Order: sequence, then structure tokens, then C-alpha cells
Amino acid sequence: MNAILVDIYSTVAPSAPFIIAAYAIVWLALLIYVIITVNGLKKTEAQVALLEEALAAKTAKDNAPA
Amino acid sequence: MSNKKVKAPEAGQWPDKVLIPALIAGAALTTIGFLMAFLWAAPVNGAQLSEPVLVGDVMVTHQQLLSQKIFYFHMPVAIVSFVALVFVAYYAIRFLSTRNQRFDTCGRVAMEITLLFVIFTMVTGDLWTRFEWGVWWTWDPRLTTYLILMLIVIAYFVMRGAVDDPERRATYSAVIGIIAFIDAPICMMITRLIPSSIHPVVLREGGMTPDMAATVFIVMAGMLLVAFGLYRLRFRQARLAERVEALKEQLED
Amino acid sequence: MVQPPSTFAQYRVLLAKDLRQEFRTREMLTSMGIYALLVIIVYGAALALIARDVDIVTMGGGLLWALIVFTSLLGLGRSFAHEKEQGCMEGILLVPLDRSVVFLAKATANILFMLAVEIIAVPLFYFFFMTGQPAAATLPAIVAPLIVGTIGMAGIGTMLSTITMNTRAKDVMLAVLFIPLIYPLLYACVTATTAAITGNEFWMDFYIMPLVLACGYDVVMLLVCWVLYDFVVSA
Repeated sequence: MNAILVDIYSTVAPSAPFIIAAYAIVWLALLIYVIITVNGLKKTEAQVALLEEALAAKTAKDNAPA
Repeated sequence: MSNKKVKAPEAGQWPDKVLIPALIAGAALTTIGFLMAFLWAAPVNGAQLSEPVLVGDVMVTHQQLLSQKIFYFHMPVAIVSFVALVFVAYYAIRFLSTRNQRFDTCGRVAMEITLLFVIFTMVTGDLWTRFEWGVWWTWDPRLTTYLILMLIVIAYFVMRGAVDDPERRATYSAVIGIIAFIDAPICMMITRLIPSSIHPVVLREGGMTPDMAATVFIVMAGMLLVAFGLYRLRFRQARLAERVEALKEQLED
Repeated sequence: MVQPPSTFAQYRVLLAKDLRQEFRTREMLTSMGIYALLVIIVYGAALALIARDVDIVTMGGGLLWALIVFTSLLGLGRSFAHEKEQGCMEGILLVPLDRSVVFLAKATANILFMLAVEIIAVPLFYFFFMTGQPAAATLPAIVAPLIVGTIGMAGIGTMLSTITMNTRAKDVMLAVLFIPLIYPLLYACVTATTAAITGNEFWMDFYIMPLVLACGYDVVMLLVCWVLYDFVVSA
């Protein structure tokens, strides 16, 4: 491989880690944000289910003595 | 308080119907853009070579830069972060004119998206700076503007955490959101227009060639769709959490 | 039917209230003045070893503005303390007056306090750090950026201290909001002040443009604060 060809691509190898890091961090951050949101959604949905049960129990109790 | 019926955004309205297609399209477009950036868009010239050389059938006269590939994601996320900030300001104005808490929720979620994309911009920009300029940080106008914007957005969330009354929190958030929206361009302008004698302004941005512009455009469209999808997803979660809170209060009565 | 007092009369009354209170207690001016002196002493320790070797004049503008920012943070944080502690704000808000008048009066009071402190602090700073070499002929030109910067900082600071008055950890919150938001103004004012202090042949290049931009920032931000203040104070 001649010297000029080496010169042409001389910045490619040293810059590769930075480029990979940039894309990887963006992708990871996106993933983490989605995971946090979906987790939150699941937790809230579980709470809704609990609330529905509590509501059902309460209406059953309210109706029972009548 | 106005008695006029305000059409407030709610989870499950029309934007949620296009949510899944939008997310898929966003993922596809960003992937295509990613591939285009590395495989199709011509590399950008760096320093001049001592003599031109024939590679394949192309005459090459400059060093070929890989570091510039960061730009294909950096610029779109920067623009998307500002688009999200525009929505923050829009919802802030809607809140102040209608006093409907829903717009506060919208504004808060939009601000979260802004923070996310500002962080993306900072990370990509800073890694490029580290490689090209050899420093982790320099008080370059664009870097400074985004640092300040990030600090304002963080301050917004810190402030939200320190106010208990929902009505008051919403008002303060709206005001800070509007001020942030106005402050960011001013910051950009001032740091850019004032001549700086400390370090030379590095200008290596000629116009964009058509293949670069096409790549940036596709990534930007993808990122906008991704941001929209994230926003709707987060908004749905925030709305559900609010409804749970309201239900809890009703049950306790 | 009694004619309601004019807007200007309302403004004068509110401003006079703040000034009278300050003349009686001298709380704000004393605390800000002593704080400014303390910051200068900290600078003295920080620069103890290098002050003789390094040309401190080129750093003067930056150090001076750091002093002003921290001192005004202290003053702005206190500016609504009386209103809050003695429930005076509710009284003011009960009066049927335009809320932006409250903003203008308070901002004017803050500008006056900050300028009063600067009148003491800037000569002190000069005395302690910049008498080593002859002053540049352009030194008096620092007055313009000082005034423009003070107006902007007092304006946005009044707005933010109204917000932080009702938050937890109010002093920290004020700093967290205040410093990023005034950054552009600070940057412009530091550049103009440094240009005036060093005063070399190209100083006008680094003086006029930043000063114009700082004025632009002041106009835009004061207008925005003036419009939004009604929402903040009524919340």
C-alpha cells in the first residue's frame, strides 16, 4: 500500500471509536428512554387494575347491607 | 377560568392511531439514513494531499474524513430538539390562555423530549469536537448555546419538583418554557456575533452536496417521527398516571 | 366617584414603598455590600500567588461581572422576602392595579439597589486589583455595559424571584434559573467591559457590538417578563 493511500485514510481509524461511541450513545439513550416510558406505562396500568379491583370491592360492600 | 369548551389533547385521539406506523417509519427512515450516511454519501474532504491519486476511477485530492459522519445524525437531532422546544412554547401559550392542566402535561412531556434530543446533540457534537479539535470542551458558540439550553431545561424540571400546587406549577412551567424558547436563539446569536479573540473560529462547513442533503433530510424525517412517537407514548403514560391519581382521590372520599 | 390614581402614580407609590423600607432597615444594601467585599477578599486569596505575575487587567472584566452576578443573586433572592414574610403581596394584589406596574416598580427598585452596590463595589475592585498599572483611557466606558447589564439582570431576576418565592429551596432555585437565562447578557457585558478595561486600539470592535446585543437582550427579555408577569404573580 503506497504512502498516499495511507494518508488519504489516515484519519479514518483514529476517528472510528468516536463515531461508534456517538452513534452507540444516542441509540442507548433512546433505548433507555423507551424502556423507562414503557416500564412506567406498565406500572400505571397495574395500578389501574388494582384500582378497579378496589372499586369493585367497595361497590360490593356498599351494596351488600342494603 | 374560561367556560368555553377547549379541545384538549387526550390519549387515544387521532395521533395515537398513526403512532405505530409513525414509529415504524421513523425506525426505518433512521436506519436507511444511517446506512446512507456510511455507504452512500460521499466522504468529506479533509486536508489536501501532497499529490492527487487515483482510487478506483476517482481522482482524490484530499484526505477522506470519517468523523464527519457524525454530522448526519447531529444536525437532525439538533433541529428536532428545537422543534420540540417550539411545541413547549406553543403548549405554554395554550395553557396560559386556557388554564387547562392538560396543556401543562403536554408541555412537560414536550420538554422531556427536548431534553432527550438536546442530550443527543451534546453527545454527538462533543465527540466530534473531541476528535476534530482535540479537546473535550471548547466555548464554541453552538456548544455553549446547547449547554445553556440543557441547563435551562434541567432547571425547568428542578423547578417543577420544588412547587407543590399543580396550578402554580403549571403556570411557572409555562412561563419558564416561553422564556427558554426565547432565550435559546438569543444565546446563539450573541455568542456567535460577538467576535472572540481567544480561539479561532473553525469553519469547515461549505454548502451541502445533494447526497449529503438527502441523507440529512431522511434522517431528519425519521428523527421527527421518532420524536413524535416518543412524545405520544410518554403522553399516554402521563395521562394514565393522572387518571390513576384522580381515581385514587375519588376512592378515598 | 373617586378617580383611580394614574398608572404612574401607582408605580411611584410602589417604588417609594420599597425605597422607604430600604432606607429604614438598610438590610439589602448592607448585606449586598458586605457580600461584595467578601467576594473581593476571596478573589484576593484566589489570586494571591499570581497577582504580581499575571496581567490581571485582562481578567478584570470577567472577575468584576462574577462579583456582580453573585451579589445581585443575593439581593434578588431577598427582594420579595418582606412581601412574603409579612403577607404584603396579598395586600398589593388586592388593589385593582395592573400587575405589570408591580413588576416595573420592583424591577426599578432592584436596579437602584444593584447600581448602588456597584457604585461601591466597582471602585473597591479597582482599588484592590487594578491599580498596579495605569488605567486605560477608555476605562470610563465600562459604565454603559454595567448599566445595561444591571437593567437586564434586575428585570429577569425580579421575574424569577417572584417564581422562586413560592418554591422550596428558593435561593438555590433562583440561581439555577437565573444564571443560565442571563448567560447571553453576561457574555455580552463581560466582552464589552473587558474591551473598555484593556482599551487597546481595536477596543471599539469588542465594545459596540456586544453592547448593542446586550441592549437587544434587555428589550426582548423585559418585554417578555412584563407580559408574563401577570400570570406569575397571580398564580
